[in-house]
Parts: sequence; C-alpha cells; structure tokens
Amino acid sequence: MTDHDSDEQHGFHRHGDNAFVAEFSESEREVLINLVEQIIELLGERTDNHVDDPLAAMVGITTHDSPPEDEVLLRLLPNAYADQVDAAEFRRYTESTLRGKKYAHSMSMRITLKSSVDGIVEVDHDGANDWLGAMNDIRLALGVRLKVEQTSHEELELLAPDDPMRGVYAVYSWLGWLQESLIVALMDEAI
Amino acid sequence: MVKVDEKIEEAIKEIFSGDKPWVTIVWDDPVNLMTYVTYVLMELFGYNREKAHELMMKVHTEGKAVVSTGSREEMEHDVARLHEYGLWATLQRGDQAI
Repeated sequence: MTDHDSDEQHGFHRHGDNAFVAEFSESEREVLINLVEQIIELLGERTDNHVDDPLAAMVGITTHDSPPEDEVLLRLLPNAYADQVDAAEFRRYTESTLRGKKYAHSMSMRITLKSSVDGIVEVDHDGANDWLGAMNDIRLALGVRLKVEQTSHEELELLAPDDPMRGVYAVYSWLGWLQESLIVALMDEAI
Repeated sequence: MVKVDEKIEEAIKEIFSGDKPWVTIVWDDPVNLMTYVTYVLMELFGYNREKAHELMMKVHTEGKAVVSTGSREEMEHDVARLHEYGLWATLQRGDQAI
C-alpha cells in the first residue's frame, strides 16, 4: 500500500450532505475519459465469444475458468483461492458478475465526465464509490505496467525525462492524489 | 443443574461454529492507497474507522490480515465484493496456515 499526501488546492471536496464536487481542466477531463474508456475496452475483451448454454450465460456462468493471461486483467479479476481447482470453479461462476460490476463503475465515471459542464463534476455517495472503484482499477492497471511492485516510487520519480513511463507515472500519481481527495471528502461525512 | 466450565463452553462453541470455519484474507498491495483500504473495509463490512484502520495497518505491516470470518458462502461473497473494489483478497479454511 502507499500513503498519499492530500493537496488542499484541488481535487474533490464535499458540498452539503451528499455531494462531492471536483473541477477539471479540459485536458484533465480528456485524460480521465481516455483512461476510463481503456478500462471499459479491456474488460470487454474478456467477454465470451461462444457460450454454448444461453441459460448459463444468463445467470452469469462463463466458459472461463482459467485466469486471464494478461497481467493487467489478472490483477483486475484475480483468483479468489490459492488452490487452482477452487479458483477455477469460483471464476466460472463469478467472473462475469465481477466484470459487470467493474464495467458499471467505469461507465458511471465516464458518464459523469462526459456530461460535465465547464469541467465541473458532481457525484453523490454511490457515484463517489463508483469513481473510487473505477479510479482504483485504472491505478491497478497503470501500476502493473509501471511494475510498481518491483520498483520503488523514488526510482520511478527518477526516470529519464524522455522515458514515456515518466509521463505514465505522473498520471498514476495524479490519480492517487485525486482518489485520496475523494476519500478524505467521504470520510469527513462519516465522522 | 448442570455445571458448565470453560472447557465445555469451548466445546459447545465449536459445535455451533461448525459452519463458520472460513476466513477472508486481504493481502498487501503496492498500488492501493492506505486510506482507500480503510475506506473500503468501512463501506463493505460496516466496520468503524478505528477497526478498519487497525486491519489496514495489519495488512500494511504484516502483509496480510483476516478481515472477516464465516461460512464458505459468506466468505465467497466478501471476496467478490473486495475484488469489485480492487482489493487483493482470497478465502480459505480458518484452520489452514496463512
């Protein structure tokens, strides 16, 4: 886990009982839409091409019982058991539901961004939870690509200026800060 | 009157907890924010801030923590909800070494 200093200047803040507001520049808004759309696309790649049993598909049973080969998808849709047989069985019955929930979080975030006026985004408690889930999925995806597991934050901050991963790391850090601002706003409510 | 000592009490407790030998474990993750883990535990399990913070710190310092206990079905439900919010969680029998 990581700790993140919250900046008072921007990010989300609370408005009244059940509203959380943030203001984004046009480029920030575009970056967020772009990222969330990539998660939506990625989750869509894991849909079934051939489901023999339409009834099984209807109740959410998939033909997938093996973990995703893609590292990012594996982090988004992880195994629930250390035991491979139990993990496969659980995945067969639950993966499509999990994918659907993540998809819904991302779609909710996308819709708020797309319908925002002058870059101002407002969400209620449920919408905020959708945003947190969606932002977290983006950070998990970027984290896998940045190899955050093996590389320290100090090392990532020292990447060469022309290294494209430097820009990715900047986006990753910014998202962490934005996520933190929303959590702080939500926690204030809980006091 | 029957007399129930601690040993018998323990045995009775075991009989009734027979269907609750499973645990949900949250594992440390370099991406998830500390405040986020705390918040998710509060939201999903209704834990107060103190308890959620304590569990988060256990995950952070020891690499893992048991966050809920119950039947296998209940733990599968908990793991699915934790996965929905991107926490790294697994379930297993409570008597297995973690």
